[in-house]
Amino acid sequence: MIVDNPFFILGIPADASRIEIEREAQKLLGMLELGFADAMTYATPLGPQARTPELVRAAVAALRDPYRRLVAELWARHAPAMRPAPPAAPNAPAAHPGFRKQMGWRP
Amino acid sequence: MYAIPYLLFSRLHQAAISARRRDRTWHYLLWSACAGVLAGLMLAFGASLLLLFWRVGLWPLALVVFAIMIAPVVAGTLTRHVFVPLGWLRFAFYGGLASKPGADGEAYALCCAAWAFARKPTAKGEKWLATHRDLRLPLGDAEVVVTGLIAAGRGDDATARALLRSSEMLVESHPAVRELVGEWLAVDAVERGAWAELYDDAMASRWPATPLTYFLEGIAARRVDAEKLPSALELQARWLLAPHRSKTRVLLTTSPSGYVARSTAPEPDSVDVVEPFAVETAPLPRAVAAHLALDVHAPTPSALATTVRAWDAALSDGATHAWLARRALELDAPLGAVDRALRELTTTVTDQLARKADAAHLGAPTSPGPVGDALARRLRHGRLDALETGFSRWAQRRHDGAVRSAIDEWREFVALHAAYSAAVRAGGMELRRLAFPHAFSTGSNMAAWLWNARNEYALSHAISKWLLAEALVVGDAEAIELGHRNTSLSVPTRLGNVEEQSSRTRD
Repeated sequence: MIVDNPFFILGIPADASRIEIEREAQKLLGMLELGFADAMTYATPLGPQARTPELVRAAVAALRDPYRRLVAELWARHAPAMRPAPPAAPNAPAAHPGFRKQMGWRP
Repeated sequence: MYAIPYLLFSRLHQAAISARRRDRTWHYLLWSACAGVLAGLMLAFGASLLLLFWRVGLWPLALVVFAIMIAPVVAGTLTRHVFVPLGWLRFAFYGGLASKPGADGEAYALCCAAWAFARKPTAKGEKWLATHRDLRLPLGDAEVVVTGLIAAGRGDDATARALLRSSEMLVESHPAVRELVGEWLAVDAVERGAWAELYDDAMASRWPATPLTYFLEGIAARRVDAEKLPSALELQARWLLAPHRSKTRVLLTTSPSGYVARSTAPEPDSVDVVEPFAVETAPLPRAVAAHLALDVHAPTPSALATTVRAWDAALSDGATHAWLARRALELDAPLGAVDRALRELTTTVTDQLARKADAAHLGAPTSPGPVGDALARRLRHGRLDALETGFSRWAQRRHDGAVRSAIDEWREFVALHAAYSAAVRAGGMELRRLAFPHAFSTGSNMAAWLWNARNEYALSHAISKWLLAEALVVGDAEAIELGHRNTSLSVPTRLGNVEEQSSRTRD
């Protein structure tokens, strides 16, 4: 419901009107047809995803249905903005790759 | 008569090694020193006799002296430092046999051959090992260890780990074989950085320690910041005693960048989740943020509990219902769209959380609400169904007459045991009580069949012992009674009949 959310796929706000949705979909389909790099991916709170013409058409179809739009809005409106992942914990347990081989227990 | 001093040294040497296996204090170092001195004396005595016979021209006798007096002393070192690294299976086998590992030396010898295979695996070697293993009936710890080391040689570390650990359940115990198991697991733990696991093994004295294991256990105690640490001098002594000193020196000299948690127990429920998303105050955005945080971090019990509670709060919140109702009107959604959306949301969220909880072997958190209740139901039923399917398949095979080799029977039991343990660990006592009757009925029948029809006594005993332990936990009186009867039977093994005192007898 997040990575395949129609609003994220089309890159439009959750309060977009029907006209805005159709216009944005046509624009994206054209850009994808021409192979524009900007149109190849879309942003989600879980990181960028690959965008395809099939996904765009399915997203438009979903948003034409009031019930499906309602569910999509529920997620899109309340999803948080993406924040960079925290750095790795400094006190991670120290592994010793290759130790088994050194001790004669691995090929 | 001339051999009497040698025999005396040899007996004392064996006694020192046996004493060392029972100890994990400074006595270990003392017994090791004694064993070393005695081995030196045996070597000196054997070499003197050999030289004497050689000088007087009795070279055939000199060869006999070498085979009887010198080879047993140097065989262990040769096996570890020459035959195993070169992958010479047969040499490793005879090296293990010559090192006089105690009763049923073939068991240890086969494990040494498997160790050489694990170092340099070949198809021919695997076939040789499998043939020799299958010839040894009934199944004992050595056959399981050989299979584990074959898996390690193939690169299947998870299977190797599970099989080697499973040997602890078998009543037949070759100390030299168990030492190899302990060393493999210790080295594997160090490679993975699983210091707490190694420390737990050391504290439980699960395996007799080789000098290398003993040294690594000392390092593990330092890494987990144990209450009782070996002194720097003792650690130096352990390092000196262990093989591969040039390679293990780095562990001795490097101070860890940070200590890892001492306990391997699950995290307490009060630990806060580190969310990569802004903490929201409204229930629904908070639930979505917690849900997404589970995708970013590995799920923990506390993170799952936070998410479930957040969803339950959001779905029972009046603001969520009001927002949905308003938007449904604005969008001209069909009648009943709000209830349907809430149901769909609950199902979707529960499905996703159940998948994550299953993958991470997490239990259902206590949270009365639509998501909490559905998740608890889903996890309990899913885990019970999976367990019952596994046990039924196991039982069905016996009825079908599909006889498998003893090691395959053991592998199936180990897999079911692991699945059962994971399920009850995640599902708690409630699931344990529900799962036990099926496990007990299937397990008891299989144990009886393996004992009576297959003469697999150690395997059968291990199943009965596990069932008894579980029966005691869930408090099933009938199963406890049967378990006590089964486990008190004398188990024929290659090391003699083993009769374990049941706790009831001890009481």
